[in-house]
Amino acid sequence: MAAPEATTALAPTPRRRWVPRIALSQELVLFLAIVALFVVVGAINPRFVAERNLQSIFLGNAYIAVAAIGMSMVIISGNIDISVGSLIGVLATVSGTLAVAGVPIVLSWVIPVLLSIAFTTTMGAMVAYLRIPSIVVSLGFLSILKGGLIVVTGGAWINALPEGFHLAQMKPFGIPMPIYFMVILTIAAALWMRLSATGRSIYAVGGNAEAARLSGISRERTVVKVFAIHGFFVGIAALLYATQLAIIQSTVPPNLELTIITASVVGGVSILGGTGTVVGSTLAAVLLAAIGSSLIFINVSPYWLRAVQGVLILVTVLADMWRRMRQARGRGR
Amino acid sequence: MLRTMTLALLAGVFAVPAMAQDRWDGADSLDTNPLACDGSPGEMAMKEYDGGQPATMSDKMGQEITLIDVPKLVGIGYFAATTKGQAEAAAELGNVNVSTDGPTEANIDDQITFIDNYITQGVDGILFAANDPVAIAPVLKKALGEGIHVVGYDANSEPDAREWFVNQAEFNGIGKAMIDAMAEEIGADGSFAIVTSTFTTPNQARWIAEMQAYQAACHPNMTWLETVEAQEDNNLSFNQATTLINKHGDDLDGIFGMTSVATPASAEAVTQAGACGEIAVVGLATPNAMKPYVASDCVKSVVLWNPVDLGYAAVYVMRAVVDGKLKPGDKSVEAGKLGTLSVVNGSEILLGAPFIFTKDNINDFDF
Amino acid sequence: MSDTTAPRMRLTVTHELVLLIALFVSLAVLSVTAERFMSVGNLLNQGRLMTEVALVALPMTFIIITAGIDLSVGSMFGLSAIMLGVFWHNLGVPLPAAMALAMLVGTAAGFFNGLLITRLRVPPLIMTLATLALYRGLAEGISQARSVRGYPEWFFVLGQGEMFGVPTQLWILVVAIIIFWIVLTRTTFGRSLYAIGHNETAARYSAIKVDRIKLIIYSLSGFMSGLAGVIFVSRVSTTRSDMGTGLELDVIAAVVLGGTSIFGGVGTIAGTVLGFTLIQLLKNGLALTGVKGDATIVVIGTVLILSILITNFLQHRRGGDG
Repeated sequence: MAAPEATTALAPTPRRRWVPRIALSQELVLFLAIVALFVVVGAINPRFVAERNLQSIFLGNAYIAVAAIGMSMVIISGNIDISVGSLIGVLATVSGTLAVAGVPIVLSWVIPVLLSIAFTTTMGAMVAYLRIPSIVVSLGFLSILKGGLIVVTGGAWINALPEGFHLAQMKPFGIPMPIYFMVILTIAAALWMRLSATGRSIYAVGGNAEAARLSGISRERTVVKVFAIHGFFVGIAALLYATQLAIIQSTVPPNLELTIITASVVGGVSILGGTGTVVGSTLAAVLLAAIGSSLIFINVSPYWLRAVQGVLILVTVLADMWRRMRQARGRGR
Repeated sequence: MLRTMTLALLAGVFAVPAMAQDRWDGADSLDTNPLACDGSPGEMAMKEYDGGQPATMSDKMGQEITLIDVPKLVGIGYFAATTKGQAEAAAELGNVNVSTDGPTEANIDDQITFIDNYITQGVDGILFAANDPVAIAPVLKKALGEGIHVVGYDANSEPDAREWFVNQAEFNGIGKAMIDAMAEEIGADGSFAIVTSTFTTPNQARWIAEMQAYQAACHPNMTWLETVEAQEDNNLSFNQATTLINKHGDDLDGIFGMTSVATPASAEAVTQAGACGEIAVVGLATPNAMKPYVASDCVKSVVLWNPVDLGYAAVYVMRAVVDGKLKPGDKSVEAGKLGTLSVVNGSEILLGAPFIFTKDNINDFDF
Repeated sequence: MSDTTAPRMRLTVTHELVLLIALFVSLAVLSVTAERFMSVGNLLNQGRLMTEVALVALPMTFIIITAGIDLSVGSMFGLSAIMLGVFWHNLGVPLPAAMALAMLVGTAAGFFNGLLITRLRVPPLIMTLATLALYRGLAEGISQARSVRGYPEWFFVLGQGEMFGVPTQLWILVVAIIIFWIVLTRTTFGRSLYAIGHNETAARYSAIKVDRIKLIIYSLSGFMSGLAGVIFVSRVSTTRSDMGTGLELDVIAAVVLGGTSIFGGVGTIAGTVLGFTLIQLLKNGLALTGVKGDATIVVIGTVLILSILITNFLQHRRGGDG
């Protein structure tokens, strides 16, 4: 099973000239699912597809999509980061504290991103060089960040943020800033993953670390780089998270790490490492957000809302498995 | 098989919502008790003391005591405010040491563990705000059994698991204050939706149930649209409130925020949707978080008791219990700057009617 | 076979030693800093409080040894708790039968995980991430967010009572630990778990019924979550649909602290037992010393990373010498 996946990994371009069934990539499945959702729910309640609601869905969840880009890279490299939700909580607090303290606003945006990169790079180095499994490192840091944040802040909320701090509320050309971040970062990351040598080495390390080593790719250095880049995306996500509302809660957002990881895996990133794309994870983040919103629009009983959400996640996962099986069979012929 | 499975699940999804959408009204097995529409006090049934008693009577009368405060969770503005009030009371009294420690999430299991540890450590008294009235009872009874005094505030336990409960406002009082404030803003035939934490949170569930009962009795023409969950999460509350605004459009006249997180987030959603003045926001919240929205006239009234006073009263009540000044059967207790507080419902001490913060008075408060 | 297992045995013993030393050092320090820590009453009470996590950590050890994972344990725990209330209160089933049915629901939930993992080859992490959401949603939907209370007195013996001076559930835990230990160390089934974790393809070729074994361990995880859920209901006298939220992280922390490798093939029940004991005693001892809860989680996170780090360091150095 690992072998054919590794092949696709090294040549991730979908072969569109073959029969359609092979071209059915997870990105396409997700895209069609999003379109289907908007058509069906829009037919039931036209307000769902009103521009205002579409904007809200993208705007309110862009930070999840951005964080899922970095998470996807980490997972593709065969690792995981469970501390991401706690890190976003800490970085948002840092950003707000700096802004309130009168630090120039640009610095209060940039410093958290730099801190984030420094932090995840350290984590990556522990994974790569000290050989502690990433799940252990990040589980440990989850506790440390979460507890540490309350020790330091006592849970006091940050308000009275200065004018001009709210990056995520800005609307150049009438489109909210978070949407720019989500779209541009996704495209840039996708191109980088596909075209750059480092980007491709991530697939190689995740797919088959031994083969990657033999072909001269340093697993250690690749893992550290992946975590550093992941830190950048987490930093941006934290920034969008912090600047969206007038108040920063200075606590760790509950279950955010699970939401982000779910977006990555529903996006088709294989948890075994080696396959997946960041376009898929962004589409998945949008799909999950749209599902959450649509269930309210079509009046699903509030008691059953979470169950329906769970079934839909499962359906997406199974559809992805089905697609892969067909592909594997198609290739076998 | 895979395809069959996927299709079966998908079919299941469409079967589930086919069940009639029930409007969530805080349903649990308890009765509601709506107040009279004109605010005339209802018949207060005289009730015998129904609290518990510690196994051994303490001999710390007038001596220095050490108290531990275990709120539902630490790290939110509301319980930071009650902690502040407790510290104020302790400073005034001079013979009380009180510190706050609790779980980082409103988790019944963690809260029990915290209390259990402090029983072992040995304190003179425990102040608590329960995540679940029944789940917390066994460990509180254990504390009473060890001769530790137990006083609750904010969220009650079963009565016999503690001695006294400092009640910030009766559930039906909150229900009336919220609905009346909303009716005043959106009119007798307006329609509203609710953003709450989770359906299982006991206080919120009771408030919504009382709101429902009071609205049905006193403002029958108001339309109750729906209730959504948003945990204690700022961004999720914002997203949910925005979804409600987008879904109902002009049909939505008002949003209730049921937690100190949901209310400012709903106000933010209304502000960012440019719907200030069209959609009213009424809710429970701490004044600091609401000042910007009240200042911009987006929010007219915020309902809350003063949590600093609540924490303050809890420490005074505990001191009175230890000193033997508050015994079963007593009808009132002295609570420092708050004056005399009366005993209701057998073993509850009432802080007062809920307070309404408006543009005129909100800047007088800092918590 | 013995040649390949011998070095692994040595390595795991080393990690357990590290843990054992950590445990003794903590015990020594904590019994000095907190005078009430070292009492039989306190220690037994800690056993009561950790039983739920511990019971779920046992099958989780099996699963992680096969290089799998089960993130849905907290939701299966909550679903079983809710079903106990629903069967007994809403459907009028006698309480003992309702307890059995609740555990059966847990087992069925675990079986469903296992079925899709083995038949459809859904990676365990993805499968259980999806059912983490699904089972929690079912618990909320079925219960309509209502609590069930008012259980009869005898039921509380399980979670709040004592047998021969020891908390009732601690007996269950001890029996479970012994069974899981025997299964892992003394049976073909146990050896197969390591084989699957080391190299699943090779295990298939050596006629190990990989799918059947996986189906069993995921069902077992559901069963133990159900059992823990029932015990928890008895301990707190009520059911709520949000019970067990976040349980998965506590359980996984205990198992990996115990030295079970997330990559599979390595791990012992003794390590897991040391893992959850150390976490519980640290939490308790630090609280009794006067350290607050938020600072305590910082310490636990640090211990988790350090313990694995120390083991890696020791193994690496010895590897270098050899």
